[in-house]
Amino acid sequence: MLAAGLVFALTLLMSGVSASFGNEIKHTVAAFDVDSWIVPAGVSGPFTSSRVFPASEADKIAALPGVQGAEPVLLMRTSVTTTSVRDLNVIGIVPGGMVNPKLAGGRSLRASGDMIADASLGLRLGSTVRALGREFTVVGRTQGLTYFAGVPVAFVPLADLQASALNGAPLVTTVAVRGSIVSPPAGYRVLSNQAVKADLKRPIGKATQTISFITVLLWIVAAGIIGSILYLQAIERSRDFAVFKATGVATRTLLSGLAFQAIVLALSAAVAAYVLSFLLTPAMAMAVSVPMSSYVVLPVVAVLVGLASSLVALRRAVTVDPALAFGG
Amino acid sequence: MSVAAATADLRVRDLVIEYSSGGYPIRPIDGLSVEASGGELVLLLGASGCGKTTLLSVLAAILTPHSGAVSVAGVDVIALHGASLTDYRRKTVGVVFQAFNLVPSLTAVENVMVPLRGAGVRSRAARARATELLERVDLGHRLQHRPSGMSGGQQQRVAIARALAHDPPVILADEPTAHLDYIQVDGVLKLMRALADDGRLVVVATHDERMIPLADGVVNLTPRADTSPRDPETIHLEAGEAIFTQGDRGDLVYVVESGQIQILRTRDDRSEEDLARIDVGSYFGELAPMFGLRRSATARAIGPTTLTGYGLRDFREKAQLPSDTKILAQAAD
Repeated sequence: MLAAGLVFALTLLMSGVSASFGNEIKHTVAAFDVDSWIVPAGVSGPFTSSRVFPASEADKIAALPGVQGAEPVLLMRTSVTTTSVRDLNVIGIVPGGMVNPKLAGGRSLRASGDMIADASLGLRLGSTVRALGREFTVVGRTQGLTYFAGVPVAFVPLADLQASALNGAPLVTTVAVRGSIVSPPAGYRVLSNQAVKADLKRPIGKATQTISFITVLLWIVAAGIIGSILYLQAIERSRDFAVFKATGVATRTLLSGLAFQAIVLALSAAVAAYVLSFLLTPAMAMAVSVPMSSYVVLPVVAVLVGLASSLVALRRAVTVDPALAFGG
Repeated sequence: MSVAAATADLRVRDLVIEYSSGGYPIRPIDGLSVEASGGELVLLLGASGCGKTTLLSVLAAILTPHSGAVSVAGVDVIALHGASLTDYRRKTVGVVFQAFNLVPSLTAVENVMVPLRGAGVRSRAARARATELLERVDLGHRLQHRPSGMSGGQQQRVAIARALAHDPPVILADEPTAHLDYIQVDGVLKLMRALADDGRLVVVATHDERMIPLADGVVNLTPRADTSPRDPETIHLEAGEAIFTQGDRGDLVYVVESGQIQILRTRDDRSEEDLARIDVGSYFGELAPMFGLRRSATARAIGPTTLTGYGLRDFREKAQLPSDTKILAQAAD
């Protein structure tokens, strides 16, 4: 039962990992608190491409009808060394500007060398980290801002990032826009938040598919475990079944009993899975946020898996010859 | 508690039971007819393999015979199927198995509750009935004990209580004394007799001849060896003619005087397996009359053949076999 519970717990954790992929994208895009994104034509999205264009385009876009605000943003990817080498999504924004992520601690960007880092990077407020060839001081912390399957986000002043990554060239990769744009400037395209999220999911699509496939395999393993338990019990209890039949217990009563046993076993495994998933979540290297729907669906699927896996045992019980009861 | 004797009649007519064993057809019961009534304790007596348990299985509607008619308490047992079969096993017959067959994980009272709960009786009522039955077999103080904590005799009495769960008019018991010591045997035998005295028909399969004085009737399923003196018989067979066929009862041992005999065994698919050839001067067919067994093979003449058939006593003398077994020790009186 504990083995089946562990497998059920793994399915919960898998669904938690898969859900966390979607959640991190949702949280990261929402952190900008904008309505649309401008990128060069031919670019699929602001988070998946590093094609740069002049930051001055932001002023032109801000002047377009329907636009309430437009701000240049530069998104780069690098690695930093904390306790180990970590990947980092570095986002250059204008300090005190329109894009101002919600903080879990500390303060907003004010001056050169400031950094707002996600808690998952593991840096405390006031600590320093070297990124893109210069030193930054962590002045603020966000919670749950990651993308590309758990890679943390760090916000730094736009000018610092341009200086470090582009030799000071006044270039950006996107313009974040509040309001509505009827038509973008020539050579650019407008992406909604939905389109940006969809583009951000694309690189991890295969990982998500793999997780879904593994989840299906885990359900099959769980079915195998429960089925094996029931089948072995059915073999062990063949004499009991024969005696029950010989003493007038109807076959359908036997089947009901076995099916009930399968359901109890599966539900017990589901309860064990709840406990195990809570215990195992902190040990997972990636963010795991098991959706409530998974907790609700688990006992239902567990019962179906239990019943399906008990079919072989049921068949065994049906075919037991009551004459076996007369064996010495 | 008393059961009307009229409801517990047993009528068996021309019963033939045949089944397959190891690829060969076995016919332990061939043309049996028996009648018994409620209030009687009937023994099915015989050596191992003579068909006692097989006959009991037919009476319990667990095995379908090859042919014949079986009526128990007015029910045509052979015609039963589906719900009527379950109903018969539940209400008409109670079976006491040789190996007790109690569920090890259940207590005594729970074991007796099994057939009641299986029939849809509510838990409280089933427990009350099981308790009443266990008290009746003097196990009121062992209700919560599991089989592993009880003696063989106590387990057997739990099994009897379970067989009585639905108050059936017929009790079938398979070797009820097989696993018991003499103290435990005493209690079980008294209980069997008491069940019959209540008006039930109690049919007991046993090889224990000590039960005979308790019984109202005995069905002896082992053919008795005929050791009475009889003149040797000369038999002439044409080619292909059989002196006996597999499954027949046998009284004579044969010596080949001329010709040759082929010993054949019939398989399930009715094909024949050639076992041996018996030449002039050799004998065959001694095991059936010696041990009260049925013929295990067919003996057929290959060409014109002459045989002499001897009774068992004459054969022993002719073959210089010991006529009596020496008693090496005798239990004290």
